[in-house]
Amino acid sequence: MGKIFIGIDVGSVSTNVVAIDLSGNLIFENYQRTNGQPIASVKRGLGELKKEYENVEVLGVGATGSGRQLAGVMVGADIVKNEITAHAVASIQEVPGVRTIFEIGGQDSKIIILQDEMVVDFAMNTVCAAGTGSFLDHQSERLGIPIEEFGDMALTAQKDVRIAGRCTVFAESDMIAKQQFGFSKAEIINGLCQALVRNYINNLGRGKKLEPPFAFQGGVAANKGIVAAFKREVGPDITVPEHHKVMGALGAALLSKEYITQSKQKTTFRGFESLDMEFTPSSFDCTGCSNQCEVIKVEADGQVIAMWGDRCGKWTNSL
Amino acid sequence: MKISFPYMGVPFVYKKVLELLGHDVIMPPRPSQRTIDLGVKYSPEFACFPLKVIMGSYIEAIKMGADTIVTSGGHGPCRAGFYGENHQQTLKQLGYDVDFIVFDGWRDNIKRNIQNVRKIKGKNSIFKVYKIVRLVYQMLQVVDSLEMRIQTLRAYEKAKGTCNKIWDAIQRKLDEVETKEQLEEFKKYFYDQLDRVELQEVAPQEKIRIGIVGEIYVVMEPSINMQIEKVLGDMGVEVRRSQYLSQWVEHNMIPFKKTHEDEILKKGEPWIEISIGGHAKQTMGHIVDYKQQGFDGIIHLMPFACLPELISQGIMPKISEELDIPVLTIPLDEQTGLANNLTRIEAFVDLLKNKKNNQHKTAVIA
Repeated sequence: MGKIFIGIDVGSVSTNVVAIDLSGNLIFENYQRTNGQPIASVKRGLGELKKEYENVEVLGVGATGSGRQLAGVMVGADIVKNEITAHAVASIQEVPGVRTIFEIGGQDSKIIILQDEMVVDFAMNTVCAAGTGSFLDHQSERLGIPIEEFGDMALTAQKDVRIAGRCTVFAESDMIAKQQFGFSKAEIINGLCQALVRNYINNLGRGKKLEPPFAFQGGVAANKGIVAAFKREVGPDITVPEHHKVMGALGAALLSKEYITQSKQKTTFRGFESLDMEFTPSSFDCTGCSNQCEVIKVEADGQVIAMWGDRCGKWTNSL
Repeated sequence: MKISFPYMGVPFVYKKVLELLGHDVIMPPRPSQRTIDLGVKYSPEFACFPLKVIMGSYIEAIKMGADTIVTSGGHGPCRAGFYGENHQQTLKQLGYDVDFIVFDGWRDNIKRNIQNVRKIKGKNSIFKVYKIVRLVYQMLQVVDSLEMRIQTLRAYEKAKGTCNKIWDAIQRKLDEVETKEQLEEFKKYFYDQLDRVELQEVAPQEKIRIGIVGEIYVVMEPSINMQIEKVLGDMGVEVRRSQYLSQWVEHNMIPFKKTHEDEILKKGEPWIEISIGGHAKQTMGHIVDYKQQGFDGIIHLMPFACLPELISQGIMPKISEELDIPVLTIPLDEQTGLANNLTRIEAFVDLLKNKKNNQHKTAVIA
């Protein structure tokens, strides 16, 4: 019977579940679209894990991503951590000596700067989604090219086209203008990849010293066009880790391992049986004061297990 | 004359001054989603966030019967200097006829300030006004010192929420204080309450202190800054913020006094030489000051599109590197989604813990 730690990363676009063994090696990964249903996708991911590893003992569970709170409550995670820390922890293991991490996900993008395996600075996109996976998705749909072929196609471009990348609205109208000028789809896609990378570095890297070695992770790292654009911008010393799509989940698993090992606690994991429980999140507007906070309530088999979202703590503390 | 004012920090104090002077006071409600909605709807789109929230506050106060508004102005090229005119004009267009009494810094416009004082003073003698102002200033000093203790204790309290409850009580009780003697009693009572808060043992190297700097309104008003002090306190972090009302009064209302803020401005000088309005220079000065006091990190709050803080934001990478103190800048606007900012704050606290303990890899906090 094997012993594992589980990591769950619930993002806006994808939900990832991984399992690691006692020495931190990744032995299972599952990547799927969240499709706005975090609970169902966590259940599916864990279900796949259970299918593959029938009789394992789960020693600890970590949750991360924008849906970490919900996922954490649902599975009984030992540790619930922000995705910046989780990504850094995974990179430190997978890319030895890494100094700068580029992470581009579905809705947000980050830059993380490390020194001696320690996060010393980071930035997250604030105002605009121009540099993220959702925008690429949208454009691939508009151009009628599957997102999986997007990167390969960009590499076949013969000429450079400059596209404004600061804002999705400008980028899109610029792309249409360039199309009308007669540039090929490949050239436009390539231009778009370069614009995204330029925007990303200008926006997030502002005032930061970007030192190699670089790691590039997140769903968008699968796109060869973007990788090439990064190489052009910062130099060749850039690694796309093997498990680049699930680095957040891997980090969460490693953090749970560290926590359990250090604290010698027993895991609070609800067990795979929790997959059969009925989780119902709901929300209501509190009418206690003029803030009218939207309070989130999670019930498991009819019993309230968590509440949050109230500014005054009236509901959060009521459990 | 029914007077109201912008809601910021501990507004019971403004109410107190006006009441002691014998005015009819309309207490504006604490900024809520409705306040923000109203403000955003009726303010120029490009205006900064504080202008919008204050606009909403005024509308709410006017609907409650206010006909006169007392507020402060601003120095230099920052938009805060136009707030009074802008608000008044917009309110007029909406059909509200209200009188504005705008106090600039006392050195900025002495003539207008004297006129304003006459309006506010009513039939009270100058001596009585002096006495009232002195009492209220003493109240502010007491409240500020209590709040600073809370900002420390909140990080270590055993039962989460204890300090918040005491803080709410402090603000409520303050309303009843009217004399020097009552103030002494009030002070003793709450110091005692705070002494009784049960605390967790935390090793010195585990303690994290963060200084909050930036534009005054978003720094001072919890209802529009995601209650950042409470959020940090719950994460076990001690906080101080760059603005306290007693310091503001010292600097802007008391002539010829050498103040804490003068010192701060001097410390900011190497980074921003001239006064560019708002609190950008103070922001720089406070970062230097917090570093000297041994703080672990800085959170810089700015209203989205705030000119002075945009300038200070540009200097952040340099000052952060030269002083070796991490800075996290958070722009605030009408959005209510907190997930993204909480992620940043949490990661920032992780970073500070690691830096302090020089731990390789990452500290684990469950």
